[in-house]
Amino acid sequence: MVMIFYYVISAFLAVLLIWNFIREKKNVEDMALYLLVLVPLVLRILRVK
Amino acid sequence: MSGQIGIILGVMILAYAAAKAAKLSVEISMFLSAVAGGIGGALVRTPSFGQLFRHLVEGSFTYLDVILVFSTATIFMAIISESGGVNYVVRATVRYFYNKRVIALLLLMIIILIPGALTGAGSISLLVVGAPVAMALGLLGIPKRRVAAILFIVAGLSAAAPPVNIWAMILTAGTAIPYVGFELPLGIPVLLLGTFTVLVLGLRKQAATTFEKALKGMPEVPAKMSWWRVLIPFLVFFGSVLAYRIWPFRFPVLGLPLEFTLSAVAAWLVSPKKINILTLSRDTVKRLLPLLATIVVVGMLQQVMTATGVRGLLSFAVISTPLVLLILSLAVVIPVSEGVLTYGAAAVVGIPLIWYLDSIGFHATVAIAGLTLLWPLGDGLPPTALIGRLSVMVSEYKESYWKFLRSTWLPWLLITIVGILMIVFSARLEFLVRWSM
Amino acid sequence: MMRRTWVIKAILVVSFLALTILGGLGLYEQRRFDIPIVAGPGVTKVVKLSDYSQGLKGTIADTLVFILEGKEAGGKALIMANTHANEPEGMLAALIMIENAVVDRGTLIIIPQFNHSASRNTKPGDGYPLYFEIETEWGKKTFRMGNRDASPLDQWPDPDVYIHYPEKQLLSFIDARNTNRTWPGRPNGLLMERVTFAAMEIMRREKVDIAVDIHGAETMFPVTNCIVAPEKSLRIATMAALTVKAKEGFDSHVEPSPVGFRGLSHREIGDHAETLPFLLEAPIPFLDQPTGPKTEKFLLDGKDPFLLSLARKKKLFVPYDESGWPVEKRVGQHCSLTMEILRQHAKRVPDRAVEVRGVPRYADIVKNGVGSYFHDPAKAERSKIYLN
Repeated sequence: MVMIFYYVISAFLAVLLIWNFIREKKNVEDMALYLLVLVPLVLRILRVK
Repeated sequence: MSGQIGIILGVMILAYAAAKAAKLSVEISMFLSAVAGGIGGALVRTPSFGQLFRHLVEGSFTYLDVILVFSTATIFMAIISESGGVNYVVRATVRYFYNKRVIALLLLMIIILIPGALTGAGSISLLVVGAPVAMALGLLGIPKRRVAAILFIVAGLSAAAPPVNIWAMILTAGTAIPYVGFELPLGIPVLLLGTFTVLVLGLRKQAATTFEKALKGMPEVPAKMSWWRVLIPFLVFFGSVLAYRIWPFRFPVLGLPLEFTLSAVAAWLVSPKKINILTLSRDTVKRLLPLLATIVVVGMLQQVMTATGVRGLLSFAVISTPLVLLILSLAVVIPVSEGVLTYGAAAVVGIPLIWYLDSIGFHATVAIAGLTLLWPLGDGLPPTALIGRLSVMVSEYKESYWKFLRSTWLPWLLITIVGILMIVFSARLEFLVRWSM
Repeated sequence: MMRRTWVIKAILVVSFLALTILGGLGLYEQRRFDIPIVAGPGVTKVVKLSDYSQGLKGTIADTLVFILEGKEAGGKALIMANTHANEPEGMLAALIMIENAVVDRGTLIIIPQFNHSASRNTKPGDGYPLYFEIETEWGKKTFRMGNRDASPLDQWPDPDVYIHYPEKQLLSFIDARNTNRTWPGRPNGLLMERVTFAAMEIMRREKVDIAVDIHGAETMFPVTNCIVAPEKSLRIATMAALTVKAKEGFDSHVEPSPVGFRGLSHREIGDHAETLPFLLEAPIPFLDQPTGPKTEKFLLDGKDPFLLSLARKKKLFVPYDESGWPVEKRVGQHCSLTMEILRQHAKRVPDRAVEVRGVPRYADIVKNGVGSYFHDPAKAERSKIYLN
């Protein structure tokens, strides 16, 4: 049951990353890095890996 | 085969250098290096082109849990900091111990050691208490470069300190040695070396400050702040960590990220100041981005290096060195491997090394303890330089990175000597392991 | 300016989706890939591990248990493979037994995917292939390449340090997902503790005499190419090792099971049941650190130039030459040693004998290849096919 909290934490983090990605206006490198960090989080939330 | 792998390694280095020359960030350069290495490998079908994306994606999972720990711990500390708790503690330390410099330095050292010792990550120490401790050290008249140097070395030691030492855990899991008996072989050197570091770098007062001026320089603390408000979130954290240790078969496994989340919620609830948790978390993630990206990319890099044989080649090079030379070369090899691979270095270089040393009569537990004193030094070396970059960031040191790194030379040298002597005399120091159990 | 930002963002998002979908798909499929097992003439019953412990019902950790009963009453033996699912020689040996063995006396219980979750997991950072293929007379048979530890999709989070039940020894956090550290387990503990508990229940309820846990180990690891046995299994282990050396011409030494290192099958099974435990290790060069690329070919033939060079510098714990350490040798050793352990036990306790025929020995497998002992699922009766 503790596992559910981990999906919630992962989802919260994913939302923060997406939010920052959308807000980012200038720094292209940062935009790319937000998405890179998102890769494992998204696949974990979808229970792929 | 080594020629072919050597070329792939060359391609990776070239890609990194080219990306850096194009003024791209360390993280993006490392990512491009991983992609280039993968493509280089695919040309000789190690791995095949079709598997390239899979390897990158799979590698990104290598340190997923570390990402969660870093994020939740930093958000937790950001709340404590925002509520004025950190300033409250540092203010008290400076007020009571301003004229007892040695005690003040030792207390600040302990404050940096604790978060890293509990989580196994020096970066947590810096993210959690780095900024206020840096401020306190500054108020004690220590210039910024030295402040950064103290933070870097002590944070590194905190990662090596028991109870949680991630390098040792990776090594013990990989070599089938129990993770027990590390308390004294790690605890004693960490405390001695930490004390040496803060005294050598911090005892001399350089800037002329007075007590009154120091206190005035400290930021204000909300009036309603009290010891209880500071302590409760930490009690939640230590309580949940200790509860599993005390009742391991009745208390659920919460894991560090959830423990930090619970503590963060507690900190938010007892804060005397209203805190917008969403914007605070968003800004924290923004601040953490280079670190999180580094962790993800290092995982990818590690996966590509293994799939192409580059990792094996490096490991092979270390293991085939003659013993005396090997032990001397650890002073360079261990930190450099950390600079390139971070925690992955423990698996790549450490596991075969420990098997080898164990087989020729070294005491594995003490040797691992010695090695794990050397790894944190590498966290100041590029390309990753995780802890070095954080130390510079939180101490607001703005000049050359190399000048900062050079100022750590004396503790660096001593830590290297102690670590290597622990490995060489591991069999004789075996009593430290026995006394720990 | 605004427009440009949106274009860049769109390009980045498309790249992100391409990377995530193309990279994630392979991992998604590996977790869902089933290996067809053709139950051989000796299989009399197939049950699930959860039949012995309710705590596994409906979880991915639940796994098939093949039971081969003889006509005559005798003893019982339990064979477990893929305790570490990145050491596939054990699973291959177990499948050869399931597809070919006939039991004349006593009962053979075989669990080919002991850590089922780990067999559907991969090892991030280590660049393994997702699958490997074994040549057979009717084509290639494909297997999943798993991981040492269960998937975090099935047991998450890890503790900051794993505390062994019931001895309270501290183990690395990652060992909470390692079914060779969670013995003897508990009925309501972590999922992997429930897996080992269920196996303990088989041994206690069925009064199992012998348990064999089949592994592979690095050539640079001191405990390799051996039988690990606690005090009470030592005699049989020693006799088995000496016999295969004399009769079949391959080496395997005996390693005593350390008393102070908890959670391992060869320690806890003997301490918590009447069963005699044995853990078999065959060298698997693929798992060594200083090697070339981690390819499927290397996994199977065990040939590596770096290891060869290290062998010449005497840094390996097994003899190693240009012929590598092929899968046929590893699987052959496991089959021979397992059968020899049963034979030695039968000699000592005749009324609890487990007599098995039809399992190829070391020389047969080295000569004919592993694949020649697998049956074509396309030609087998549907009721004989099990997906695991």
